[in-house]
Amino acid sequence: MADAFDTLELQPEYDLDLGAVEALHRELSRTLHPDRHAGKPAAERRAALSRAIEVNEAWRALRDPVRRAEVLLTRHGVPVGENREPVGDPALLMEMMEQREALAEARAARDLPAVRRLATEMRARDAAVQSALALGFVEFMGATSGATVDPAVRRDELLRKLGELRYVRRFLEEVGEIEDLLG
Amino acid sequence: MLLDIYDPKAPPKPIGIDLGTTNSIVAHVRDGRPVALTTCDGTALLPSIVYYGDHGAVVVGASARSYATRAPTRTIASVKRFVGRGMDDPQIRLLGAYRFVEPASAEAARTVRFDVGERSVSPVEVSADILRSLKKSAEDQLKAIGGVVITVPAYFDDAQRQATKDAGRLAGLEVLRLLNEPTAAALAYGLETRSNGLFAVFDLGGGTFDITILVLDDGVFQVRSTGGDSALGGDDMDRLIADRILVAMGFAAAGVSAGGGEAVDAPPAEVVSLALESARRVKHALTEVTESLLELPRRGGGTAEFRLTRDELDALILPLLERTGRACRRALRDAGVEPSAIDGVILVGGSTRMPRVRSYVQEIFGQEPLGDIDPDLVVACGAAVQAALLVNQSDEVLLLDVLPLSLGVETMGGGVDRVLPRNTTIPAGAKSVFTTFADDQTGFEIHVVQGERELAQDCRSLARFTLKGIPPMSAGMARLEVHFYVDENNLLAVRAVELTTGIEQKIEVVPSYGLTDEQIEDMLIDAIDHGDEDLEARRLADGRVEGQRILLATDKALATDPDLLATEERAAVDRAAAALREAIAGARKASTIQGAIAELDRATHDWAGRRMDRAMKAAIAGKRLGDVAAEVQGAAGVDAHVAAHEIARAGRPPPGGS
Repeated sequence: MADAFDTLELQPEYDLDLGAVEALHRELSRTLHPDRHAGKPAAERRAALSRAIEVNEAWRALRDPVRRAEVLLTRHGVPVGENREPVGDPALLMEMMEQREALAEARAARDLPAVRRLATEMRARDAAVQSALALGFVEFMGATSGATVDPAVRRDELLRKLGELRYVRRFLEEVGEIEDLLG
Repeated sequence: MLLDIYDPKAPPKPIGIDLGTTNSIVAHVRDGRPVALTTCDGTALLPSIVYYGDHGAVVVGASARSYATRAPTRTIASVKRFVGRGMDDPQIRLLGAYRFVEPASAEAARTVRFDVGERSVSPVEVSADILRSLKKSAEDQLKAIGGVVITVPAYFDDAQRQATKDAGRLAGLEVLRLLNEPTAAALAYGLETRSNGLFAVFDLGGGTFDITILVLDDGVFQVRSTGGDSALGGDDMDRLIADRILVAMGFAAAGVSAGGGEAVDAPPAEVVSLALESARRVKHALTEVTESLLELPRRGGGTAEFRLTRDELDALILPLLERTGRACRRALRDAGVEPSAIDGVILVGGSTRMPRVRSYVQEIFGQEPLGDIDPDLVVACGAAVQAALLVNQSDEVLLLDVLPLSLGVETMGGGVDRVLPRNTTIPAGAKSVFTTFADDQTGFEIHVVQGERELAQDCRSLARFTLKGIPPMSAGMARLEVHFYVDENNLLAVRAVELTTGIEQKIEVVPSYGLTDEQIEDMLIDAIDHGDEDLEARRLADGRVEGQRILLATDKALATDPDLLATEERAAVDRAAAALREAIAGARKASTIQGAIAELDRATHDWAGRRMDRAMKAAIAGKRLGDVAAEVQGAAGVDAHVAAHEIARAGRPPPGGS
């Protein structure tokens, strides 16, 4: 089945030039958007609509750092999804729980500066984890094509990083909601 | 459904309609520029008020307003706030002079009905009466009108959109498209001023609030995020003022009591109507002056004085403005931008005329809103532009809009499994897999909801359906795949398949709130005194036009992509096309033509897919080539863009003029 990279005819890499992908998405939308096919025969409208949906879905998957990693792993036969991945590192789990507690406290105290401090730290971490994932994918894809390190080790490292990214993203989502409320 | 008779001498002209809470406007593109048409009131703005008199008399617009205090329950204003809503909606309990029909069943309670004396009307019917009046004005001026683009608040949910579309069809209009109001405003503004950049559209109307963040880039209007409240607007300000007026008149503050009279000290509908109308006048006056004084009849005789200053009004409406502020911050966050990154704030809606609204917007975005836009007309103008673009098949403008509210399915515990998040670019699709939870479970209920809340009961219920006929299996074995499709109008369709058996069910999301095609047709026959025969004659004429159009498109496709057809496929297409040609020439019934159209549709289905794949590949290849060219050419690209824009502008006027 065609995945997001296939749909947009892109090289399967984690480190994507999102600006270029967005431009490509726009170009394809110009061809496929239903408004372009208004008044055309139904067969044509259906064909355009289903492809427009696929292209939109592909762009949505690739611009999300978590889903982009999932697409790449699935491509390499690694099952993803929160119930199918190994349980996260206990130390990370503990750390994230503490961070979330700190956030909950700041929220209860309506302490916006504290919320923002926590967010800044987490944004730095978000960037770091994404860099690590980009590097990890390069190594993993090298490893699968016959290198020295065991691909399973690389894979598990990637899954750990992906798990961490999920925590980080969820945290940042919560920050956003708090900011809307308190801001 | 195309109900206008085709007249080859005068090509039907596409129109755009802003169906507003307070006022409605119809516009069309003349000589390349959108202009609002004069309504039956002699002005561009038609008050969205309908009076239902005796013997089926219907009065729309300013003349209907004069009945508001005399016959308040027969005069429906702000009907938009009830569109697509049920009797359980909090809207029903707000201060107003409406008399609602007590629903006879749970089914009936899904749609509000107004008791207007002789009969009762639904919000869809009232909206259709407003649209019919606009349609008539447009026909008087343009002779034949073609398709229509109707605008809706970006934050309207599926049920509200469905109901709006139904109203259009009921009014006998061919609804080409539902367009989000902020996007329409941006379209009109962007094309007029040739602006590029990141814009915020702050749209505070009579009953709805939208905030949309979008990018304008050489004819591309890409919505980044949208947010709002489909029950927040000038009406709410009027109610706050009316509450004070009622107290001044000697009544208890109405608060949340309805105008129906069930509360102990509820003022009569005539008084409520007078208070609301006075409130509106006070509000308008305070945009120009800093203090307003009113004399009103006092309960039990004599007169009462009511005084309100602008400062008092500002304080009164601040809680409402803070609700807009929260939505703005969320939209900015969803778009991933800081307020300082916004190049311009476009104000839409009559409520944005108020000084405090303007200063509040300025506080949020840290900049003065753009001043050269008519907040009342810009949405209808955008709708007219979009209608012309659709009919002329222009490819220089592209509108990429988003889903305003997340779509999900209720889970076992009453939670929501989010299938498509808000701000997903449309058209969009997603699927979700569910498993059975009990042994030998043969049916599966799916409850589709829309909204951001954690619990399904707090979200908007869109549809409930049951997939039946699953063969008995142990729990967790049967796997149900639910597909969601959201089209360019933000309308939803759902399909469910049981994966082990392949049992499939297509779900019409329509019947829960909207109307079926049959219902619309029945109502049309009743409404326009034409009867069955006339309708059949129209359908036959419409079928011929549609068939011709399809044959033309098929011929064009045969000329460009004949290589994508296998020999036997080509033969099938030629056969089906010949049959359609024959049907157009000789058929006496519309169904014959429709049958031939369906046959040609089947014959061209796979081919259409292959042609679209080819177009996609060409677009991808073209993009790559373009990127290389852009790097080499450098500054020459700017000229090309400007030239492309000239073409876009030149291409906009519809043929014919008027």
